[in-house]
Amino acid sequence: MPLIRIGIDTGGTFTDVVAVDEETGRQASTKTPSTPGDPAEGFMAGVHKILRLLGAAGDDVGAVVHGTTVATNRLLEGKVGHLGFVTTEGYAHVLEIARQSVPDGYGNSYFWVKPPRIVPADLVRTVGGRLAHDGSELRPFSEDDAVAAARFFRDRGITTVGVCFLHSYANPEHELRMRDVLAREHPDAVVSISAEVLREYREYERSVTTLVDAAVKPSIARYVGTIASRLATLRDDGDAVPFYVMKSNGGVLSADEVVRQPISTVLSGPAAGALGAAVVAEAAGFGSVLTLDGGGTSTDVAVVVDGHPALTTEGSVGAFPSKIPMIDVVTVGAGGGSVAWLSPEGTLKVGPRSAGADPGPLCYGTGGTEPTVTDAHLLLGRIPPHLLGGEIPLDIDAARSGVAALAAELGLTPERCAAGILEISTWNQANALRQVTVTRGLDVRDFHLVSFGGSGSLLACRLADVLGLAGVLVPPDPGNLSAYGLLTVDVRNDYVRTAVARHAVLDPDAAGKTFDDLRAEASAALEREGFAAGERRYLRTADLRYFGQASEVRVEVPDGPVTTALADAVAAAFHAAHRRLYGYDFAGDARQEVEWVNLRVTGVGPIARPAPRFAPRGTGAVPRTSRPVDFGDGWADTPIYDRAALGAGDIVAGPAVVEEFGSTVPVHPGFRAVVDAHGNLLITREGHQ
Amino acid sequence: MSADPILVEIVEGYLTSVEKEVETAIGRTSRSPMIRDAHDYRAGIHDRRLRKLTGRSYSALVDPVVRDYPIETMRPGDVFFHNDVYLSEGGIGHLPDLCVTAPVFVENTAGEPEVVAFVQAFGHHDDIGGTVPGSMPSHATSVFEEGLMVPPIRLWDQGVPNEAALKIMIRNSRMPESLAADLDAECAACLMGARRLAELFQRYGRADVEACFDAILDKTTQTFRREILAKIPAGTYVWEDYAEHDGVDPPRLHTQRITLTKQDDRLVIDFAGTGPQAKGPINHCGDYADGAFLKKWLAPILRNLADSPERMAELEVNEGVVPLIELRFPPPGTLLTPVFPAPTNARTFVILRLLGVLAGVLAKAVDGRMPADQETIRYTGVYGDDAEGRPYLMREVLGGGSGGRYYADGEDTIHVVPDSRNLPTEFSESRFPFVVEKLGLALDSGGPGRYRGGLGYEKHVRMLRDAHFMSIADRSILSCWGVRGGRAGRPFSVTIDPGGPREREVDALADGEPVRAGEVIRIRTTGGGGWGDPLDRPAGEVLRDVRWRKVSVDGARADYGVVVSGPADDPVVDEAATRGLRATLLAERTGDEPFFDRGPGYARLSGGATSAAVDRL
Repeated sequence: MPLIRIGIDTGGTFTDVVAVDEETGRQASTKTPSTPGDPAEGFMAGVHKILRLLGAAGDDVGAVVHGTTVATNRLLEGKVGHLGFVTTEGYAHVLEIARQSVPDGYGNSYFWVKPPRIVPADLVRTVGGRLAHDGSELRPFSEDDAVAAARFFRDRGITTVGVCFLHSYANPEHELRMRDVLAREHPDAVVSISAEVLREYREYERSVTTLVDAAVKPSIARYVGTIASRLATLRDDGDAVPFYVMKSNGGVLSADEVVRQPISTVLSGPAAGALGAAVVAEAAGFGSVLTLDGGGTSTDVAVVVDGHPALTTEGSVGAFPSKIPMIDVVTVGAGGGSVAWLSPEGTLKVGPRSAGADPGPLCYGTGGTEPTVTDAHLLLGRIPPHLLGGEIPLDIDAARSGVAALAAELGLTPERCAAGILEISTWNQANALRQVTVTRGLDVRDFHLVSFGGSGSLLACRLADVLGLAGVLVPPDPGNLSAYGLLTVDVRNDYVRTAVARHAVLDPDAAGKTFDDLRAEASAALEREGFAAGERRYLRTADLRYFGQASEVRVEVPDGPVTTALADAVAAAFHAAHRRLYGYDFAGDARQEVEWVNLRVTGVGPIARPAPRFAPRGTGAVPRTSRPVDFGDGWADTPIYDRAALGAGDIVAGPAVVEEFGSTVPVHPGFRAVVDAHGNLLITREGHQ
Repeated sequence: MSADPILVEIVEGYLTSVEKEVETAIGRTSRSPMIRDAHDYRAGIHDRRLRKLTGRSYSALVDPVVRDYPIETMRPGDVFFHNDVYLSEGGIGHLPDLCVTAPVFVENTAGEPEVVAFVQAFGHHDDIGGTVPGSMPSHATSVFEEGLMVPPIRLWDQGVPNEAALKIMIRNSRMPESLAADLDAECAACLMGARRLAELFQRYGRADVEACFDAILDKTTQTFRREILAKIPAGTYVWEDYAEHDGVDPPRLHTQRITLTKQDDRLVIDFAGTGPQAKGPINHCGDYADGAFLKKWLAPILRNLADSPERMAELEVNEGVVPLIELRFPPPGTLLTPVFPAPTNARTFVILRLLGVLAGVLAKAVDGRMPADQETIRYTGVYGDDAEGRPYLMREVLGGGSGGRYYADGEDTIHVVPDSRNLPTEFSESRFPFVVEKLGLALDSGGPGRYRGGLGYEKHVRMLRDAHFMSIADRSILSCWGVRGGRAGRPFSVTIDPGGPREREVDALADGEPVRAGEVIRIRTTGGGGWGDPLDRPAGEVLRDVRWRKVSVDGARADYGVVVSGPADDPVVDEAATRGLRATLLAERTGDEPFFDRGPGYARLSGGATSAAVDRL
């Protein structure tokens, strides 16, 4: 009985791999270089490497879970030129108009240049026929227009087509007929219709979401198909290995299902990290935390409340808005490779430009020409003079001379300049963490931060200081937390239907029927994923607003038949949620009516999570060595600890540096790190608990 | 003392973050749709010397608060309030903009709290009284019709809200609960921002932080000097533009004129020649505090002189621009120097036009390397009773096309207020008794040019029940101007029942035009002006515009001299015919065409002249 589950997170530079043997509970993790030309190559190299580490064979693999942002993002690039769009007559320019908004500052409308639309206006066709907001038909579907549109795309070799008709969320009939016409007239076309991608009102956002889905569908199907067939070679019998792909909503999807909802797998990389952090934090006793995933080019931050990463439907894929539910991750250009540079005004700036992995920081010696955050850390001795436990040596002299050149222009010492680079990078990350909390009315000081990723913990103490955080938790193998997160994720599918109705006249039977329909869809998908009826779980939610508001608040809908009493309970929950989020509600004001907008069902197929690990009891922290480190107050010989040698209960008092494969934790003076029962480092200020 | 270059960057990022946090908090907790959905609110951070430190947007002024309540008399927990236009030192333009100011305190060496900075916010609230709901009466002839005026007051005294003042204000609003909630939201957000700023002072010390403030402002001064002012040749340049009506008098030219003098490292902007104070509400109180508000309001336009659109977006406009600009105002009694109690609620049209006047006068100085004109704000709406007999009001801001630039076409259907959005049809139809049959672009509305102006909307609304149509718009007679050979865009227009038996045009200022069930309201908004000679636009780009249904085949021929033929889906350019036509059109020119094109409507208001004297170089 094959029992090894493998999580693989493909990043821009490295492919991270974590495996767990469900029988023994044994875990292993490793990294291999990513292979952007053919991501499947790095993927399989990772599988083989982790199996060797576990001394296991291909036949032992029970399941593989995969998350990636880079790969899917690349699929989108350059793909959109061959896309066609079909919409309702009168709306040919819906993509040109967008929402009329100009980003950022006042007066920018004079010089702002709109980015190219996802489909150029000449590849947009309109079709007669019109529905009303309740799904009733105002004018019949024009078969003639539909045939003309299908032939237009066929004759021009446009083989990927998105379809979005007005009010199709309320009634998909016209879109289904359009799809039939395309199947008949243009059988080669890959088609996405909005009623299947996102059954939610707002025509511009639904159109773009549908088009992104169509655009990525062929290449994601190919990508997933390639990996699935390579995975089959692991087995002597050539049987398929169960293969799951991470979704941006914090669930997974089987490879066979990916072609039905390809857009839901785009941007899945950051989601896995936030989920992994949530699981680790909960085991450590923290239900609500901030998460910070520090990489080479950027840092992703998110909020976890009561074990669940906060979701948004206001995200975007590249330049294109996508209303698909996704974990709300704010990305800042503040990573290890962020470049330090002088602005035209002569001030020191850090990022958002990054040297990435190629050419990389100066100290990589791979052609980098500008000092980076990593170079500053190295100059100050806060990271070891090598990467990945010694596999890659770093060039201290190159880092020093690069930072020194910048320092000379500012009239600073190299050390002061390096410390300044890190301080600015800290504040850039701190401001992002404030943004994700203030938006939700949360106070950053109430939270612990879970820091992970290759560069995530390097500034942990500085962040704790400038934000006044309660503490910082650094999980074991922080460089592999995203891959670990992949092993903790359930199968999860979201279904939505817009059905606007004022609460006073809500028809509970109609709402119940819609929930049942959505649940049937969710159930069918879970059945295809191999979940028995008894295993399937369903979460019902609804989006409500006060009549006249333009945005909604999501609340849970309890199980059971939809009755007037249940609907009243949902409305009461909405009042309470509105007060939590906005500071007021209209519960006692009869003039302010509640309105139901969207009904949602999430289908969940639970997957066995790896059991929490426990670290062996420590015997007192003993430094492996020491080296000079500058924590901002000058050079001092500083103890260096091996994280692998620390056990539960061990305490490392700053100043110190804790090193492990793939990541480093500088413990600043005035801070201390305690190893908890699960092997996490819990960093707090001296004198704080 | 000189500032630490690292701390400067940290402080600048911190200020930006606090400003954003204050705005996020207001947006999250306010109730007025103009704040929550239309994003009509701003926060700003000012230092002890009342200088604005942040620069993503304009904001009101602290000057009137300090004028009435000297800094030494302020105490921790104080929050100040004002909305009185004539006592705002020019920082507040109309009464619905309610402004809250919170001083920031830090203990001095003697352990006494001292004011070190201010956090301020204002938002456009639903209603502050006056003769019409929304407090923006388009026919007002005095500020007393526009709502409740509150001069600077101490709204919170050492942490205790002034109950009497709040009661009076709330009683005077048609939307009392939302007014109270909005005020709470602003006060709480500003106090939060003040706490955050105090932490900055506590962490780094007052002297170091204030040195950074100086450095941040000085940086802006130097940058504008180096990258912007250096582009303007020394000399004096004059231009003017117009609002077309004030809501009271019949349409006429309400002149706004700028005489721009570039001398040494400074700009002098003289408004002499600006038209007399209007009877209606389009006046703006500009001549206070040395024009400190208008300087910061106008300076964003200067950014168009930077080297690239990316660089333009990076430049922030804080108090650092003020030393570079001198404003000179005409004597009291003009559009920009109105005398109390002249009405001001629709001053938006005048101060937005003023941005265009500055762009135009700069264009004369720099051989046209400025954007052509845009007009992106107007209110249109319908009201009546819905199917269940309940009254409704649908009011939205519809944007327009931006002007062509020397590096790009103008953009279609945009709005000058950042992040302000239009209403999705799928939202409006579920809420109001009409069908939006078309939400598209107005064909040929973009001003022709080497770089075409952006297109305006064409929106067709078919009413399902009898209703009334309302509109508050300018640029319905005069067009958005084109420059340096570029032609004007098409103006705003509203037609009811187009092509039907009761077809009729509606004035741009309409309070309640009756519309019958079944009739269509066709709204076309302004196209942006064109930039450069349309005959220089490559035929391939004109053909692309035809394929994109932004320019008609007739428009290609008449406006660009490009002859397009073939089927609608596969049009082609007739190269030979185009060469011939372009040669003919060129030969028909006198060689004495003005530098600006104001469109055909100008002659209607000018007494027959097709251009103004100032329209030539």
